[in-house]
Amino acid sequence: MLEGLRSPNIHTPSNLSEYSSIIQHYPTSSLWAGGTYIMSRRDFYPSSTTNDEIIYLGTIEELHRFQRNDRIAEFGAMVNLYEVVSTGRTILPKILIKTIQSFGGNIVTGRITLGGSLCTTDFRSSLPGTLSLFDASCEVRYMKKKRMHSKWFPLMTIYDKGGKLNLPERALVSRIRINLYERSYQKFFQEGSFFQDQENSVSIAISGNPDQDNFNDARIAITYPNLGFIASHDLDNIFSSARFPLDQSESQSIEDAIIEMGMATFPSISPLQKIRTRGIIKEIINDLNINALTAASLDEANTSL
Amino acid sequence: MKIDCVIDGKALSLSLNSNKPLSLILAEDIQNASISSHCNGQMCGLCVVLMDGKAVLSCLIPAFEIRGKTIITFEGYAKTKNAKDIEKAYDLTHLRPCQSCYNARTLLIESLLSSNLTSREDVIREMESLKCHCLEAGDVIRIVQAASEIRRKRHARRS
Repeated sequence: MLEGLRSPNIHTPSNLSEYSSIIQHYPTSSLWAGGTYIMSRRDFYPSSTTNDEIIYLGTIEELHRFQRNDRIAEFGAMVNLYEVVSTGRTILPKILIKTIQSFGGNIVTGRITLGGSLCTTDFRSSLPGTLSLFDASCEVRYMKKKRMHSKWFPLMTIYDKGGKLNLPERALVSRIRINLYERSYQKFFQEGSFFQDQENSVSIAISGNPDQDNFNDARIAITYPNLGFIASHDLDNIFSSARFPLDQSESQSIEDAIIEMGMATFPSISPLQKIRTRGIIKEIINDLNINALTAASLDEANTSL
Repeated sequence: MKIDCVIDGKALSLSLNSNKPLSLILAEDIQNASISSHCNGQMCGLCVVLMDGKAVLSCLIPAFEIRGKTIITFEGYAKTKNAKDIEKAYDLTHLRPCQSCYNARTLLIESLLSSNLTSREDVIREMESLKCHCLEAGDVIRIVQAASEIRRKRHARRS
């Protein structure tokens, strides 16, 4: 052991009621899920600023449960991403599987938990953005008058407008509910490594139902790992109101509008993030243009027949 | 914090800081030479060990999580018959990882073989965890398939 460095106390509650009594005794303790983010911080060890009390959530049985029906899949917050993919490969939206796979191989996804990836304070993974496309919700457990209460919230409400985590103190996300509906167009794009190059990477998740020249029910989320994520109706409307195929000037104006929106929310977006965002938007528009043109030519062929 | 665990077949009782990463424990407390880097959790992938038979990045495992667990590092793994299968596959395919990623890549291949994940996609996805590019994806797939065949034959002979 390093001299002068205190070894943190690790609390390992086996159920949620044990957790609530520990959190009452040690209100300032840190919550430890998979630990991937905490341990990847450069100053993690040795450090004199590490919290002296750590509550390890991995031993809480309730947080490892998984259940599903025709409409929803519900995961405990301590289910790791590898388990999410392996249990939900056939039922979960493809874009969600793609987002999880973008985290890395099984060796990495086996360590990252669903709750942990949603609740890091100063790092935003691409998962909340993608989940927001499917109106995911989460169960938050919080202390009020020395008692633990729980309530379901839409996932978007646990983040502020800029995608920063906005949970009450001593609150815990215990379950995540994902709606099982697919839109016909859904894609996930990521440029740069979220873990190694946060300042320069960006990811965009988009889904919707292309119908001839329209892009109905469009949902889009843009994530900057060092800043937060943007998912709003204004952003969705940019795509919903467009008529595809778009020519170069229309495409340029959409790119500009999205970059402007990003800059308004996060003024410190790096130049490379801007370029990468623009590149991905261009790719999406190109994709939707191809979709629209293919649909148009199929229609023409049908009418000539 | 007192932590009991089994590392490379030896039952140990260590007095450690509860949040010390396993990669540092192996390098500093056990003097294990097979862990080549401590990247502070930046996921370079070079510090792979087997924890209860599953491959993990040791820089992401805190000391309190190894309590009661069985850890196998490359030093311990290299003496096993399973290691010989992969060694033979390297010879058979004339493909060999570079010195810096040799230990980690071999343990990753072992974890793929033991969990029977030998499809192209599984191999490619798993090898993405390693930031060393000394071998192409196709080469690793050939190694994994050769090693899988060698192991299958060995098991068939034994039974």
